[in-house]
Amino acid sequence: MSGQEHEGQILRYRTGQRIVHAIMASSFLILLITGLALVWSPLAFIAAGGWSRYLHRIAAVGFISVPFLYLLLDRTGAKEVLVESFQYDHDDVVWFKKMYRYALGRTAEMPPQGRLNAGQKLHHSAVIVFSAVIVVTGLVLWFAKANLSVSMLSWTAMIHDLAMLALTLLLVGHVFFTYVYKAWSSMATGYVPADEMKLEHGKWVEELEHDGAKDPVA
Amino acid sequence: MASAFLLDMTRCIGCEACVLACKAGNQLPVNTQYIELIEHTSGTFPDLVGGFQNHRCYHCADAACVAVCPTGALFKEDGLTRLNPDACSGCGYCVQACPYGVPKMQNGRSTKCDACASNVSGGGSPWCVTTCPAQALEYGDRDEIIAKANSRVAELKDRYPKVQVYGETQAGGLGLIVVLPDDPAMFDIPTDPQPVPVSVDIWKGVVQPVSMGLTAVAAVGAGVLGVIARRNHLAELKELEAREKAGVPAGGSESTEEEQ
Repeated sequence: MSGQEHEGQILRYRTGQRIVHAIMASSFLILLITGLALVWSPLAFIAAGGWSRYLHRIAAVGFISVPFLYLLLDRTGAKEVLVESFQYDHDDVVWFKKMYRYALGRTAEMPPQGRLNAGQKLHHSAVIVFSAVIVVTGLVLWFAKANLSVSMLSWTAMIHDLAMLALTLLLVGHVFFTYVYKAWSSMATGYVPADEMKLEHGKWVEELEHDGAKDPVA
Repeated sequence: MASAFLLDMTRCIGCEACVLACKAGNQLPVNTQYIELIEHTSGTFPDLVGGFQNHRCYHCADAACVAVCPTGALFKEDGLTRLNPDACSGCGYCVQACPYGVPKMQNGRSTKCDACASNVSGGGSPWCVTTCPAQALEYGDRDEIIAKANSRVAELKDRYPKVQVYGETQAGGLGLIVVLPDDPAMFDIPTDPQPVPVSVDIWKGVVQPVSMGLTAVAAVGAGVLGVIARRNHLAELKELEAREKAGVPAGGSESTEEEQ
């Protein structure tokens, strides 16, 4: 199922998925820094003169385009992530109960997981929900600010800030698990070591092997 | 000690010398001005009452513009509301927040009267005050200015029955004390401007600092835990490798041949 250069490896994320991830990651980081300039005074110099406002808007367009780009570049992948992220089975419930072990780097007693583990599902669904909130409030602040009273303005900005807090905490967790489980390669090349996948995503590997047996070309 | 302006509207002759002195002294661009003179009259001839509203920053003590400003470009100093245009990001929140509709956006930056900070710091007076030919404007210690305004009102009571001091208590106390010949509504200024909404305090005073704190704690915690957890995981992988080498079948190792 993989070429010589990827022996013992499984393709976890296709090129389209990696491009979408890179665009989402870079636009998010730009939005975070240019937004933080309006929250944290040591960064206020970034906002001086107003050029960070334009950068924030350019990055916002990139961020908003992510779901559309995903559909365009990898329709199957986009559907998979949407469907799988909101479906939990019994193993997932057990996984959540033992999550502290997984967070400590111990997979031994974790129940077998599919392509996405229960934590990743929760992460994806939370990212989708909070991204929707931040996009809506952001568009209001961008296009309808002049129609807002001070109180409405502060409520909108407050919700925008809280959604960003949620997304930033999710990012901290995301980077944490990437580091602990050496997942950098899935973002960079898309390939991950097969034996590690057996440990962390046993049901998925079984599924792949099952499909591969039926259709060796895949 | 706070400073303040005294604006005696019964003395203003509407000559607009203050407008021009302000523009010239502060080197304002062509279509910008910090002071706008608006003529207000009421009644029917010959019983007319009115005056020239000297519309400009009222320098609120509880300034809504300062409360919402995300970069600190707007700030309070000596009882007055200053503006550092270099720090302005051009978000325009101050335009939305001001109960008097004072700040304007000019070339993507907020502009408004900053009580001639540069003149005053050198011991001088604001341009409008030095220029006024009718002694309608004064600048000085706020308590003295309020005392002067009250004595002016006492003198004027016979001529203007509704004359009053405006700005002693509004928005926490203004830095522009006005001797008004009539009710504030006559001059399109709020009798009691809306206070800064509590939601602004929650947003800037609670939500933002708590968010920053939580993020910092999470990042540091994840850093420390990450080092420990990664060590655990690597040890686990090493153990797995050792077991596989020793030929002990570990979780689905028989399928390795199938895969290739």
